[in-house]
Amino acid sequence: MTATNWVTRVVAALLALVLLVGSLLAVVEIVAAALDQAPVMVPHSEWTSWLRTHSWNDWTVKAALGGLVVLGLLLMLLALRRGKPASLPLRSRTDGVDVTASRRSVEKSLAATAARTAGVTGASASVSRRTARVDARTVARSEPGIREEVEAAIRKRLDSIGTERRMRTRVVLSTKDKR
Amino acid sequence: MNSHANVINRVALTVFGLVLVAAGCLGLAVSVGAFGAWRATDPVLSQEVSTFPDGRPWFWWAVAGALILIAVLALLLLLTQLKTDRTTRLDLTTNARDGYTTLHTSALTDAVEDEALGFTGVTRVSANVYEHRGQRVFLRVDLAESADIGEVRTRLEKEVVTHLREGVADPRFPVIIELHVEAIQRSPSTRRAA
Repeated sequence: MTATNWVTRVVAALLALVLLVGSLLAVVEIVAAALDQAPVMVPHSEWTSWLRTHSWNDWTVKAALGGLVVLGLLLMLLALRRGKPASLPLRSRTDGVDVTASRRSVEKSLAATAARTAGVTGASASVSRRTARVDARTVARSEPGIREEVEAAIRKRLDSIGTERRMRTRVVLSTKDKR
Repeated sequence: MNSHANVINRVALTVFGLVLVAAGCLGLAVSVGAFGAWRATDPVLSQEVSTFPDGRPWFWWAVAGALILIAVLALLLLLTQLKTDRTTRLDLTTNARDGYTTLHTSALTDAVEDEALGFTGVTRVSANVYEHRGQRVFLRVDLAESADIGEVRTRLEKEVVTHLREGVADPRFPVIIELHVEAIQRSPSTRRAA
């Protein structure tokens, strides 16, 4: 499960809890009021009088409404955001068998592949649905053509993994010693 | 592996987000005088609205009914988070008149894990059976970085999947294989190569 899915799950659980408790509490208050009992937990008469004494153009009301809009937009953003995939589909060979490779493991593998290239002291990789980006650190006076070598190595690795979609590769070199 | 819950969560958050945005925008429109300047200076809870339930005894019971409906939906959303699609039994009954045949999935998954662990380059295997709109086996296979991914894939699909499908007597039984190259995570339900 991706980080986005975890956050979505936690927020959905919190939202469900708030709605559940809030709804049941409101029902309890309605029943208590119908039986001419004092408010159980919510001082609704105070809330009602506050709403009667504050107009729509009151800054507190505007701030609360603005907060609602922001909260709603954040929830929608979280719900509609695709995020990075947890796994990448690989080319299908057998009917009824879907094969995928975990994105994180592909990233680790590409980073290790890039790091093994001569002149590269370390590397990290980031993979999205269509692009594999490798950030490689090189020694001060790196050999010419090192970018092509790293790119060829990660291309070969991606081919051996067999991703369904041919991914764009991007290699960013940085020099360890910039003197 | 619970995409079902993920879809429900996203739909619930989108709907709730839309309701909040709509309510907020409507309120802000009133407060800036979009529906008449006089309305912006009106109290949020006007006399007309606050006296509406008077003489309408059904009103609060209708509100209570709507709130109970919301509470039930919220409870279902909460239970969705706890639910897993994983199943422990496979129904292999072909004709109920002849009796019922049930396979404990551990028998199947243990056999799958043992077979896959014997392949060169495979360091860890975990198999589970899921049930949502049909049953399927989910196979997580960890590979050493030096593993020949193509060969391991071929053996998984030609040998493991074939034997699995023979075991459940279904030549088209769906299988999902997730490969983890050079993975380091460990979980208690997984098996490691010796």
